Amino acid sequence: MSDLLQDIAIALDQAVLRCDNPLAGELLLVEGQSSWLSELLPDSQYQQPFIIEDDCYFLQDFMVDAKALWLSPENGRLRSGFWTESLSSGRTLHLEAVAIKQGNTQVLLINNQSEEFRQRQKTIQSARELTLANDKLQEQYQYLHHRLLAMINSPKGISDSLSPIIAAIENANFGVMVLDPQFRPMIENPAILEIFDYQKDEQLSTELPVETLLRLMHTQLPECTRILSTATTWSGELCWMKPPHTLKWLKVAIYPVKDDNQKLSHWLFFINDISRLKYLLQRNEKLTLQDPLTDLPNRHAFWQYLEKRIFEQQPLFLLYADITDFKQVNEFYGHAEGDRLLVELSGRLSSVLKKTDFVARVGGDEFAIVLNGVESVENCLMLGNRLLAVCQHPFYTESQAAYHVSLCMGAVSFPDDALTAEELMKFADLSAYNGRSKNVKGLQFYSQELKDASRQRIQIEKELRHGIENDELELLLQPILDLKCGSIRKAEVLVRWNRPGHGLVSPVDFIPVAEQCGLIVALGKWVFEHAMQLLKQLQELDLTIKLSINLSPVQVMDSSIFDFMQLCIDKYQVNPHYLELEITEGILVDDYEQIHRLLTRVRGLGMSISVDDFGTGYSSLAYLKRLPIDFLKIDRSFVKDIATDDNDKAIVLAVIAMAHNLNLGVIAEGVETSEQQAFLANNCCDSAQGYLFSRPIHFDGLVELLQAQKDGVSADWQPK
Amino acid sequence: MIQKKICLLGTSGVGKTSLIRQYVEGIFDKKYLTTIGVKIDKKLVQLEHQNVQFMLWDIEGADRYSVFQERYLRGAAAYIIVVDQSRSPSLIEGMDIHTLVRQVHPCPTVLAINKSDLETRWHWNSKELADYKELFDLSFHTSAKTGEQVELMFTELAELLTKER
Repeated sequence: MSDLLQDIAIALDQAVLRCDNPLAGELLLVEGQSSWLSELLPDSQYQQPFIIEDDCYFLQDFMVDAKALWLSPENGRLRSGFWTESLSSGRTLHLEAVAIKQGNTQVLLINNQSEEFRQRQKTIQSARELTLANDKLQEQYQYLHHRLLAMINSPKGISDSLSPIIAAIENANFGVMVLDPQFRPMIENPAILEIFDYQKDEQLSTELPVETLLRLMHTQLPECTRILSTATTWSGELCWMKPPHTLKWLKVAIYPVKDDNQKLSHWLFFINDISRLKYLLQRNEKLTLQDPLTDLPNRHAFWQYLEKRIFEQQPLFLLYADITDFKQVNEFYGHAEGDRLLVELSGRLSSVLKKTDFVARVGGDEFAIVLNGVESVENCLMLGNRLLAVCQHPFYTESQAAYHVSLCMGAVSFPDDALTAEELMKFADLSAYNGRSKNVKGLQFYSQELKDASRQRIQIEKELRHGIENDELELLLQPILDLKCGSIRKAEVLVRWNRPGHGLVSPVDFIPVAEQCGLIVALGKWVFEHAMQLLKQLQELDLTIKLSINLSPVQVMDSSIFDFMQLCIDKYQVNPHYLELEITEGILVDDYEQIHRLLTRVRGLGMSISVDDFGTGYSSLAYLKRLPIDFLKIDRSFVKDIATDDNDKAIVLAVIAMAHNLNLGVIAEGVETSEQQAFLANNCCDSAQGYLFSRPIHFDGLVELLQAQKDGVSADWQPK
Repeated sequence: MIQKKICLLGTSGVGKTSLIRQYVEGIFDKKYLTTIGVKIDKKLVQLEHQNVQFMLWDIEGADRYSVFQERYLRGAAAYIIVVDQSRSPSLIEGMDIHTLVRQVHPCPTVLAINKSDLETRWHWNSKELADYKELFDLSFHTSAKTGEQVELMFTELAELLTKER
């Protein structure tokens, strides 16, 4: 028996040592005498007790854990992990120790793991080389992207060819192109010409790098038309084949650059030849079709699968999902946390699906899901909602900070909506995009209405851009009254759009579009500048009151907004003490640092700040305490039933008490009846606005009211 | 002669093995060969008044393929967090490891900003970098390739550890 064990131990390249006295740590070699063991532990003679000395430092250290295991009453096993020993003979060993406690037996196995070590090193080496290469690429992309955007947005613009960034582009080891909106190259670096084997002195008939790239995008990317027509950022991989010898994998990132009016001014293209990375991946067949981060099938595997299902004429639903707040998670917590989110989300999505379904990671934060055997739209909707619900629970960072993300998801059916893989993908993508741009939660099915709505939105966007340039907008003002004396103290500035052919359009119909497409920045600046003109006129008429101007979340994040406001104030020579900015609750928590900086600077000029629609969003008292705020505006939904609904009464009273405790003023919105006015006045609400006092009116109307107030003519709402 | 265990920590590919190899053998190999598990090297540091034997624990980089093992730190007299100045995530990851380790194993710490022969890629300014450095007892801009500040780092660490006695 002993001979057999000895043979097994030698065959396994393993030494078996027994420890009869764990406290003393004495070991006895019982099986597996070998030359490497004699070199590693010279004192280890067969059946002779010995102690591990200093010269085998790792093992000596592991003995601390081994002894703890052997002395514990429980049976167990503990592995040391791989370690490498360089022996004095020049020989290198890759070893692993295992401490075992079984009943009264304490054993230490030392395994010579050279083969396993090499295997693991080979696999991990490829994976880490990939990670490093990817990190490097990301870094270069981000750096150049950031610098290029800054350069293009600078007043000197792209013509400043002396800029060091041009030199950086020239020397970049990946391709960079700066194009105009019509995809005409303005800058192309040598690397891009090299990637596409393009010689500048070639005949004119040779395809330009940009032409090749656009052709590849159109043929390999169903989302291409949407990406280019909506000027959306995209990154992914394209395969370029140029017979007879060329087959290159290209990693492509495209970024639109927009001006203040959200008009496309340039395209930035970054292209890297990742053929070598692909080769590394292909060394491991599994990795070729697998996303290394999430272990889900990758885009390539997804296309293969979808095409196979279509070829087999199997009815299916294709769902396309992306994470709406992924960028924010990456920016706020860092890319490592972004990766964690993707892994966690992949797991959650997979847990909802059946084995017969198929989920793949098809882009940075994009997932595609094929549902098989789902018979109706209703069932698909039900499943889609279950998938969306995986985001109801918070995600956690490594340091246990909780945050939420949501998914926007589009769905198409095969064969009802489309017959090819490309079309299915394109329509699913469009549906998801539309849901996101409309801020609609839930699964979005591809439909004719969706197509129409998308067209309509694009139309509004186009006309609104034109409308801002052509002064089709106008400002109305709604008075805000001091409830104690009934005097008009302020007016909220509201914008209307005189849309040709449609008449006066309410903000609810165009502000969301402006917010989604980024036009809100230009619109907001228009409003601010024209409000300054009105304030100037009021000053000249000696009827000055404070004007309160809304600031959208996008504007708050616009780094140029403060300089712009200051410029306008100087230009029109108005007193900033007569200006108030209205921000919504949501902004307060979106980006605390940014909002704090902006509000502090604005307050420094003398302007005041109010929080609009208070009570409808997520609020934290901590934010209200820490941010420089002057007023809370109670949302109209609480004021509406204030005279009859006890809950609303309680809420309004609580807001008033809390605001006053924090030294904030309170403004009630949507006051329409004298009962509401009386309740608010009796409970120390400071100010109010609403149809009871005045609808939003033109500037002349406000001037009339203010003149009457100045002349001592009392209005109906004033306390007698 | 006193003996000190020094652990080199950091994410993968920052140059922990290369730093040790440069210090112990005076060799730099530009081919990247990833470390699996642990390898221990010894080096005698000769100070003015005494000699110190360093046991240098080169520990596999912590990343998605390898979880950081706290138990390797047992008995460590100091640890060196190695980051790669040409790869900004390595600093964040290095800081994460530092935060974790100093809670479980308080001891002198060194920040090695390695690959100083390459262009700096991270966007931290000198103030931010200085703030990071403040979290360590010593910090160095090293290059395993050129040897810049490598010897100095280990010598100063040895001096710090002998002073502490």
